[in-house]
Amino acid sequence: MVELLIKLKFALDRHTPSGTRWLTLALVVGGAALTWYLALNAASDAVRSSLLTLLFTLWAGVWMFAPTLTNGAGVLRPQYFTLLPLDRNRVGVGLLATMFVGVGPVMTLVAMGALVWHSWSADPATLFLGLLGTLALVVFIVSLSRLVFRALGAAMRTRVGMEIASLQWGLIVAGLFFGWVAIQPAIAATDELAARGVEGTAASVLAVLPTSWPVLAVDAAAAGSWGAAFGWLGAFVLLTVVTVVITGRLLAPSVAVRGMRQRSRPWGSRVLEHRGSWLPDTPLGAVIGKELRSWWRDPWRGFELRSALWAGLFVGVLGLISYLPQIAPFAGVIALLIMGMGASNMYGHDGTALWMTVLGQGEDTVRADVRGRQVAVAVLLVPASALLSTVMVFATGEFWAVPYVVAALIAFAGVSNGLSVLLSVVAVAPGTDPHKRVDANDTGDHSFQSWVSLVAIPLLSSPTLLTAAVTMTAGASWVTVPVALLNGGLVAWLLGSLTIRHLERRLPEVFARIRYGGEVAVRSAPAPEGTMLERIERGTLERERESASHE
Amino acid sequence: MTTSHGPALELDALTKTFNENRAADGVSLTVPRGAMLGLVGPNGAGKTTSLSMAVGLLRPDSGTARVLGVDVWTDPVRAKRHLGVLPDGLSLPERLTAGELLDYWGRLRGLERDLTRTRAEELLRVLELDRAERDGVLVAEYSTGMRKKIGLATALLHAPEVLVLDEPYEAVDPVSARVLTAILRRFTDGGGTVIISSHVMALVEQLTDRVAIIAQGRVLADGTLEQVRGADSTLEDTFVRLVGAREIGEGDLAWLSS
Ligand SMILES: Nc1ncnc2c1ncn2[C@@H]1O[C@H](COP(=O)(O)OP(=O)(O)OP(=O)(O)O)[C@@H](O)[C@H]1O
Ligand SMILES: [Mg+2]
Repeated sequence: MVELLIKLKFALDRHTPSGTRWLTLALVVGGAALTWYLALNAASDAVRSSLLTLLFTLWAGVWMFAPTLTNGAGVLRPQYFTLLPLDRNRVGVGLLATMFVGVGPVMTLVAMGALVWHSWSADPATLFLGLLGTLALVVFIVSLSRLVFRALGAAMRTRVGMEIASLQWGLIVAGLFFGWVAIQPAIAATDELAARGVEGTAASVLAVLPTSWPVLAVDAAAAGSWGAAFGWLGAFVLLTVVTVVITGRLLAPSVAVRGMRQRSRPWGSRVLEHRGSWLPDTPLGAVIGKELRSWWRDPWRGFELRSALWAGLFVGVLGLISYLPQIAPFAGVIALLIMGMGASNMYGHDGTALWMTVLGQGEDTVRADVRGRQVAVAVLLVPASALLSTVMVFATGEFWAVPYVVAALIAFAGVSNGLSVLLSVVAVAPGTDPHKRVDANDTGDHSFQSWVSLVAIPLLSSPTLLTAAVTMTAGASWVTVPVALLNGGLVAWLLGSLTIRHLERRLPEVFARIRYGGEVAVRSAPAPEGTMLERIERGTLERERESASHE
Repeated sequence: MTTSHGPALELDALTKTFNENRAADGVSLTVPRGAMLGLVGPNGAGKTTSLSMAVGLLRPDSGTARVLGVDVWTDPVRAKRHLGVLPDGLSLPERLTAGELLDYWGRLRGLERDLTRTRAEELLRVLELDRAERDGVLVAEYSTGMRKKIGLATALLHAPEVLVLDEPYEAVDPVSARVLTAILRRFTDGGGTVIISSHVMALVEQLTDRVAIIAQGRVLADGTLEQVRGADSTLEDTFVRLVGAREIGEGDLAWLSS
């Protein structure tokens, strides 16, 4: 069976968009080269040991989060096998085995091989420890990668799981953000790193991470304490076995019910009993109410929101405890920007439920739908991010930043609000239809929206950013706030209006794109009038068809 | 504000091609007011596609549809006001309870708050969704049959004049099916018009007064039950005669009985 599964995996791999494949290849080959470069150029055994602990941690980190980031293309999903009369656990183990096939695991093996070199040069007698350690490391890292991916999917079925997953994800995003700030000088100083290794607190933190245990085993053996050596390696092998067993279990096709089961009545659901309501009795009120409830209760949407908040919080905390306290007050701004990107596929989140808007179409429904979503997103994002920044300002005492934080919050709240609703329509990526979702990646892939946002948000906020830059040197920093208000308000209103105009003309086409896919939507569209939005829409459609024809 | 002219629903040469495949090929049907029409046809015949085009969900390549004389594709807002639709296999706002969903739907369609509330309560009670509502069950957690029922409630809430229901009886238990039949009867007795698609010939025969048979995107027969049935004793015979029977040969699937 394993052989068959491996063939299947290769077939899937061939259909992964080539861009992703080349990027992965470059990443793993480059990583292996860097690992060996540092291992060979380390000034001493002790330095090499500390470098290897750092490198192995990085490898494990990348392996853990890359599959989720790349949307798990080319991965055999357990659900494919639910209905086959095979032993569930055997399928799980078989699926795990397929994970060890491919360039990634092979290059990882090459990189981990640096441990063999380390043991050889430390003391040839420890060679077998190095070999064993290398193998265990590969098995551990690859299994862990699957474990994280599946656990994230499984987490979506319980409320607590979702909260934990978003916390972790927030930590990762913050880590990536900060890691970049921290790693930049490190890369610039590769040679210095090779000479001195990792020192200080970082070294002691690294030492306790499991991926360092095989290195510690080799070091201990080379120093003559074989008992400690077998202890470290034994512990690591045990951990690896446990990881493999758990992952095999998790990969077994599951037939559990989808979605979160509510234990009690959801909050705010007594609409039929309560007489009063704080929302207006209009289509706009209807959309705001529905959107707020969906954001609050849908685990996929909740995940986007919460992980962004956590990411902001961790960036702030990391700034606070490191040498960059001036970043901390902007924690709320960062959270707001990430949340804005998370909201840029709203129609994709709703999937074919859009039929209600199409069939309930009145004079004002489309306007209400777009504006209602904008209001709901603003209600969710602004207070949370403002609170986060307020706390951080008081925690750091960086009061000079207040006008800039306020201005940035206002400007970005407006700009990202308008942009996300616009992208939600013209670049809608539906993914699996809501009532069939199970996995962490079942909502559509909104990486395109995120890339566009990264470019468009600074561009559209440039009046505010320029004013901020000028007042930084010229003083009068509070001038930035009214500029931001005007900037953000205008962009939110304008992009919202553009979206309404576009959607009013093409509501059935947007629905067709979600329901039948890009191909049908392109054909059934009336002759394009060549507006900018239609061209963008067409562009994203072409892109979608291209990746569909790869599948 | 009923328009005074035109039949309840008129499908006018609706055509749709999906990637080289003609899903609907000039589908024309006329449903007079107060009638109940059953649309039958084999899997993949184009029923869902035709109905989607008729109600304004899928833009036809050519042809159009009219509701009470109002063109669905040139005057969608006015046409859709008269329509109640149960689509097949689509999502709903999954994270709402049935009550919230109907409240949303009522407001979106501009109904009075209290009217929505009384109607929603009544619909949920009649369709036996009131217990799920009391427990706060979200639509995402509904069974297939329950999803049909809440879909039906959304189709009825604004008291439309024309109902278009795609496979309303599928997955619905026998007791609920009776309730549904009673609802549809009352609806047509009050002057409403219904078009349903179904695979159950006996049901169509017993329930509807008009039938249309569709296969490979074309209307093969259309008229009152008696007209369509003609000399055949049951609708199923007519269906099989028109669509073409596929007999299993003597040697086919022999391994099943070995
Ligand atoms: N998303 C789609 N993309 C391409 N072709 C499609 C799509 N949906 C349906 N079709 C095709 O359109 C044709 C008509 O399908 P339709 O769903 O209208 O049939 P139906 O009569 O409703 O069938 P059933 O009784 O199974 O519900 C079929 O040939 C089908 O393959
Ligand atoms: Mg159908």
